[in-house]
Amino acid sequence: MQPMIKVEGLTKRYAGVTALNNLSFTVQPGEIVGFLGPNGAGKSTTMRILTGFIPATAGRVEVAGLDVFENSLEVRKHIGYMPENNPLYEDMRVVEYLRFRSRLKGVSRAQRAERVDYAMEKTGITDVRRRVIGQLSKGYRQRVGLADALLGAPALLILDEPTIGLDPVQIRQVRQLIKELGQAHTILISTHILPEVEMTCNRVLIIHHGKILASDTPDNLKRSLNTGGLVLVEVRARVTDLRNRLEELPEVANVSAEPADDGYARALVEAKGAVDLREQIYRVAVANRWELRELSRGRTTLEDIFVHITREEDEAEEDRRERRRGAR
Amino acid sequence: MRNVAALLRRELSAYFASIVGYVVVMFFLIVMGVTFAVVVGYLNRGPTQLTAMKILFSMFWLPSLVVIPMITMRLLAEEKRAGTIEMLMTAPVTEGAVVVAKWLGALVLYGLMWALTGGYVLILQHFSGGAPLDVGPILSGYLGVLLIGQFLIALGLLSSSMTKNQVAAALMSFAMIFMILIVLNWMSFLFQGGVFGQAFRTLSAFEHMEDFARGIVDTRPVILYLSGTAVALFLTIRVLESRKWR
Repeated sequence: MQPMIKVEGLTKRYAGVTALNNLSFTVQPGEIVGFLGPNGAGKSTTMRILTGFIPATAGRVEVAGLDVFENSLEVRKHIGYMPENNPLYEDMRVVEYLRFRSRLKGVSRAQRAERVDYAMEKTGITDVRRRVIGQLSKGYRQRVGLADALLGAPALLILDEPTIGLDPVQIRQVRQLIKELGQAHTILISTHILPEVEMTCNRVLIIHHGKILASDTPDNLKRSLNTGGLVLVEVRARVTDLRNRLEELPEVANVSAEPADDGYARALVEAKGAVDLREQIYRVAVANRWELRELSRGRTTLEDIFVHITREEDEAEEDRRERRRGAR
Repeated sequence: MRNVAALLRRELSAYFASIVGYVVVMFFLIVMGVTFAVVVGYLNRGPTQLTAMKILFSMFWLPSLVVIPMITMRLLAEEKRAGTIEMLMTAPVTEGAVVVAKWLGALVLYGLMWALTGGYVLILQHFSGGAPLDVGPILSGYLGVLLIGQFLIALGLLSSSMTKNQVAAALMSFAMIFMILIVLNWMSFLFQGGVFGQAFRTLSAFEHMEDFARGIVDTRPVILYLSGTAVALFLTIRVLESRKWR
């Protein structure tokens, strides 16, 4: 199958600064890919290159099989783009703005009303269609931006930080919407908020200092981090007893126990390797006739992965610099 | 072309969606109305070689200096400031279409303003006591106003493309228009005779306007202003594209 996005050796330098360094990745049709990275990692730059707003210094970029530099106008027809901060003409009414945009995007006169209505309905802005955009709340404006991205029925949606600045309820709505849109469109979405990626995307690209550090499903990333063995347990027992019994288990690496309320003790148990300790701990509790009120696995979040990977990279960078200094 | 039409519609509605369009038109009508009243009062004092419209056309520089910076300052500077230029340039449209549509939009507004002064012609007709008006010089006068105006608008648009700040854009286009209208004319007075004097007189918009208002349509100023516009619009497109090679 022809990939929706194909990026090879993409490099972008601004006066002296390397924003993107030999970036390569592909996105297959139908995927929802999360582009994850701290501020200034190069997410927006990559998206601007994909949409043809700025060119690359080096490398090849294809969207739907078309070269972004050579067929810029054609490529733009395949992309629904929502830039960072979602700039809109504030003096226009919602429906006017969408009509104008659909004309620009070459939607035929016959289809225009239908496309505009579809986009407004899909994003839930039909009831504000006559309002002036400048007077809308941030959540509604965000949806106007999304509606605009949908107008040309593009195969690919590129959304740069679509939930930034929204309140929790609005964030949830926008996320839900993106998930729904994923059924009909390939989506590349950038964010620095991790739960967002976890909930909406089926693949994550972690980008840091203009390089791709990881590309996998959220679950695989978690698994690869090898932190399956952290277990939290709460039993009615003395703290010392709990600690001693658990430390007797062969696969336990470390136990930190502390008293909890109502005569309970709480322990955080770390395993050697990626073993699930829960069954063994349960058996210990039964054997000692302790009442058990909590037994759960410590969850690895994408946050952990992200910090882990980016820190590793920073340390490696630091090492290289040290070595260079040493060599001199 | 379809894109230019869509963009032009947006440009025209933008003038009247904000208060700017109305303020500019009001300013223009006040200035021209007062001028017209003064002119008619002057002509009432006795017979003269001048016609009312001729004097009115010779005042074209006064609204140009203020009105053109006002209607062009927003065009690209505001798109850059608000970031909407990114929405525009990631839609399937070329820089050329955007620039031409914005130039046309300002030109249409400018033309509409001057069209309103057509009312003065009707007033003159009504009070001329049945004597037929000389239509030729009036039409060529309007042609001159439009011709010089479209060039100054292209300069205003160029200024607007070079900054994110509307005030800076207005000052820049004011300076350019001032140079071309006023300073060139002063120079032609300073260098009476000689090659320089001749050169400055050839370039002076006042000289051109006087010819147009007399009914003379010389192709030299026509070509001068049209090619000036082509250069200014070309430069504007290059400035817009400059994000690609910086």
